[in-house]
Amino acid sequence: MGLYLKNILAFSTQRLLPLVLLVGLASCDNLQQDIDVVIPNGPAQLVIECYLEPNQRAQLTVSETAPYLSSPIPVVPEDVTVVIAGPNRQRETLLYDPGFNFVTGKVYTHRGRNRLLIQPGDVFTLEAKDKKGRVVTGTAKMPTPVPLDTVEFNFNDRPAQLREAIVLARFRDPLGTLDFYRFQIHRDSISQEPEVDYTLEDRLNEGKEVTLGTSYIFDPGDSLIVSLYHFDEPYYRFLQSTQNARNANGNPFGQPAAVQSTVQGGIGVFTILSYERRSLVIP
Amino acid sequence: MRVVVPFIQSILFLLILCTLPQLALAQATVTLSGYVRDATDQGVLPGASVAVPALNTGVTADEKGFYSLPLPVGRHEVVISFIGYETVAREINVNRTQRISFVLPQIANELGEVIVEGSGTLEQKLQTTQMSVERLTTREAKLLPALFGEVDLLKTLQLKPGVQNGGEGTSGLFVRGGSSDQNLYLLDEAVVYNPSHLFGLFSVFNPDAVQSVDLYKGGFPAQFGGRLSSVVDVKLREGNTKKLGVSGGLGLISSRLTVEGPIVKDKGSFILSGRRTYFDVFTRQINKMNIDDPEYNPIPNYYFADYNAKANYKLGDKDQIFLTGYYGRDVFGFNSASSFNFDFTWGNTVGALRWNHVFSPKLFVNTTASFTRYEYDVTNKIDQFSFNLASDIRDIALRTDFEYQPNERHTLKFGATATDHIFGVGRLQAGSEDGRLDIGSDVSYRGQEAALYASDNFKPTDKLQLEYGLRLTGFQSGSDGYAGLEPRAAARYSLTPNTSLKASYALMYQYVHLVTNSGASLPTDIWYPSRKSVKPQRSQQVATGVSFLLGGGQFLLTNEVYYKWAQNQIDFKDGAQLFVNSDLDEEFLFGKGWSYGNELYLEKKTGRTTGWVGYTLAWSQRKFAPQRGTTGINNGDDFYPTYDRRHNLTVVVLHRLNERLNLTGSFVYSSGAPTTLPQGRFVFQEVYGAEAVAVPIYPDRNSYRLAPYHRLDLGLVWNMKPNRWFDESDLTFSVYNSYNRRNPYFVYFDQVEDPDTEQVTGYRARQVSLFPIIPSVTYNFKF
Repeated sequence: MGLYLKNILAFSTQRLLPLVLLVGLASCDNLQQDIDVVIPNGPAQLVIECYLEPNQRAQLTVSETAPYLSSPIPVVPEDVTVVIAGPNRQRETLLYDPGFNFVTGKVYTHRGRNRLLIQPGDVFTLEAKDKKGRVVTGTAKMPTPVPLDTVEFNFNDRPAQLREAIVLARFRDPLGTLDFYRFQIHRDSISQEPEVDYTLEDRLNEGKEVTLGTSYIFDPGDSLIVSLYHFDEPYYRFLQSTQNARNANGNPFGQPAAVQSTVQGGIGVFTILSYERRSLVIP
Repeated sequence: MRVVVPFIQSILFLLILCTLPQLALAQATVTLSGYVRDATDQGVLPGASVAVPALNTGVTADEKGFYSLPLPVGRHEVVISFIGYETVAREINVNRTQRISFVLPQIANELGEVIVEGSGTLEQKLQTTQMSVERLTTREAKLLPALFGEVDLLKTLQLKPGVQNGGEGTSGLFVRGGSSDQNLYLLDEAVVYNPSHLFGLFSVFNPDAVQSVDLYKGGFPAQFGGRLSSVVDVKLREGNTKKLGVSGGLGLISSRLTVEGPIVKDKGSFILSGRRTYFDVFTRQINKMNIDDPEYNPIPNYYFADYNAKANYKLGDKDQIFLTGYYGRDVFGFNSASSFNFDFTWGNTVGALRWNHVFSPKLFVNTTASFTRYEYDVTNKIDQFSFNLASDIRDIALRTDFEYQPNERHTLKFGATATDHIFGVGRLQAGSEDGRLDIGSDVSYRGQEAALYASDNFKPTDKLQLEYGLRLTGFQSGSDGYAGLEPRAAARYSLTPNTSLKASYALMYQYVHLVTNSGASLPTDIWYPSRKSVKPQRSQQVATGVSFLLGGGQFLLTNEVYYKWAQNQIDFKDGAQLFVNSDLDEEFLFGKGWSYGNELYLEKKTGRTTGWVGYTLAWSQRKFAPQRGTTGINNGDDFYPTYDRRHNLTVVVLHRLNERLNLTGSFVYSSGAPTTLPQGRFVFQEVYGAEAVAVPIYPDRNSYRLAPYHRLDLGLVWNMKPNRWFDESDLTFSVYNSYNRRNPYFVYFDQVEDPDTEQVTGYRARQVSLFPIIPSVTYNFKF
């Protein structure tokens, strides 16, 4: 809900700003110009992006921060050793073997060989070291999946050939815990950018049934994948802070925010995904 | 109570202040008192001088236009003067305490004498103990060139030393290193919480309805309190008591209309004034023209309008009542052809009833009951879902202010205020038509604020004048309470008839806080009370100054040095959840701030060429140490806020070419504003495999400086001859940013893409400017 509120306020800002610019005749292109800026470069930090899933092999990406105005090609350090450890003596040093996962559409630099046995509540750790002495550590606990009670669609009352559908999903928020969710709907494949994607917290729905919905944007024949992620506060804060950091670039009213990583000694996220996924075909 | 207050000592001190004048030199005198008014519309003239040159004595009319002048019995020539008005001299046989009101005729042609300030003569300014104050009247502001020709009193105040703006074209004030929420805006003594329309591009004060604005930057008199950095005291006009009149103006983006006249001739008058922008008229037409274009993205409708009303009525020789009202709204609406509707309104509603009673020529009381509300409301409907988010702050206040002048050496002011605040921090309602979604949340608080004050203006000798006072303030919200003592002091010593030394000290508390992390004035900013974990803000300021009257009284050169330090300054955690948060307290961060600077000011108020030059050298810094599980701000190190400017130069020149033409110009230069630019970036792929994005990494807060800002505005006012339609009319031409400087509004980093492959090939820094050269013309009329 917090993100929704931010979004509608961002909408008003984004819609009002052109009005201001219109007033200022800022549609003239020459009111924007390239400039030279001199910003001191800080030391490069290791960046980790790792999402573990039950019964999947670990895959993660290790990269480095770069000066903003430098080459867009990501810097991938090749000397980083990554160790993942969890309950039941699960401990594995991942292989440096860059590749591409066609299911998720993600690039990875390191991969594990063993499928991970993860139960809700299990805690895993990550340690990444390089030969320059940089060390990144992280801890992640798997949240309990929250089941989707219903996933359904409704058509609007337009003529049959023009009708569109909304999708509604319902679940019950666990009582007594601080919970964070991400709701996504993909068309056809999860490797594509989702049609619907928002995060919410249970601040206003503590222990209640929660209904999430979309606009009338789906057409008959659409094959949808509906996902409800349940995650912990550190991952939520990381997502929110990366969004805030991105929004602040180019928004004169935005307050630049530091990224709140879930790892220590570097930047990035290490978490265990916990989600419920349903398929839905709009007839 | 979290601050232990020696209440008894405070009360004793106040009582001592009240009795001090009785201990002063006893001298058999009588008192001449009354109002000084404009002969045309009977409006009061605050700052007008009433003097007896032969006795080398005189006073200045107060903010209500009331004067009180002790004189020995005898026949005296009393001279009444005010800039822009003809000086009147009257011989009066003063044999008893009596009330005589004076009227001053305006100089024949309104613009015949170009006026820069209306605070009386430069000599009066030299002689007063009050330092760090700027007064401006609408008549003066209307002469200066303005953005889009829209005269804006707050923007004119930004041309004064020690006052920064919040960005290109905005009307927010940052006074002596204070933030924009630390200004107390008063409209006929009622608080205005959000003084701006459209992101602060325009202020809510319609110049046609305003008589004058006083800006106190320091040396705050004891009757003012509640904000740390400044008091902006706006007085509305009272309307013509002689005849019905209509005036107005047609501008580039708005039009204004004012009606004023007597309720009962010479006993009461009224003024009604309104203005409205016409952005929406144009945007509706543009949208209509593109209605058949499926690719067209409609422009939202936006307008703002505000309405002022004021009436006054004399109940008798000693009583007068005033009723003031203000209603203003910004209205933004977006209704798409699909089922997405968005409406956003915000604005202030203000009302004040003031009763003015003269007990005797020596004792005067002013009592005001006021109501003020600022609110915003966002309604969003998408298909069957609807959301409504609203917030407001409502005050009901009562204040009474006494002024007592027991003899010519003392002027006592004392009074009390009480305010009941309701903070509607956030109200959310979300639902669906089928009732399956129904979420509601309402976070609101109540608070009571009160103050008691007394001050004495004491002239021990002709050369030395002191003003000292004390303000006792308190705030209660639920079970949480705070109180504070606010001593105030000011002194003036005349080294020579043309040289004065001045000094002042003020301690201020602020019990209400603006919740914003945008650094700009946004309509969604909300006010929040001091509570258990949100302590009141507190500041202290010392200032010293020297003033020289030069060129036979034509120029006043003033130099002031100030140092201000503040505790419990407020900022917010990164990513703070500021909307509908019942634990908003937890999002606050507390720190300290300090600022210091030197303000040099040369002004000329009479003659064909008038104006001023102001130069400010200033520093402003803040520090937020690690706290509440965070590393603070900027890792706990000092940083410069966005409104810090090292150098600031303003030059304002008004030149009367002839009786009908006036040429004006203003030039501003300020050092680059601090801003935060990303130092680095990293690639983030996200969980679902969408296209990778670059996430900026921000280093130290505000460590980069934008390019310096400078701009020259030019104006020409052509007073036209009376014609069969209008008694008075003028055409005002303005050229904003006349040499078309591309001043930085903000800088961002953008990716460079190959136009064929859409692959990112690099990054670049882009500077955005807001306003190029903007000529405008405004037609004003009066009949």
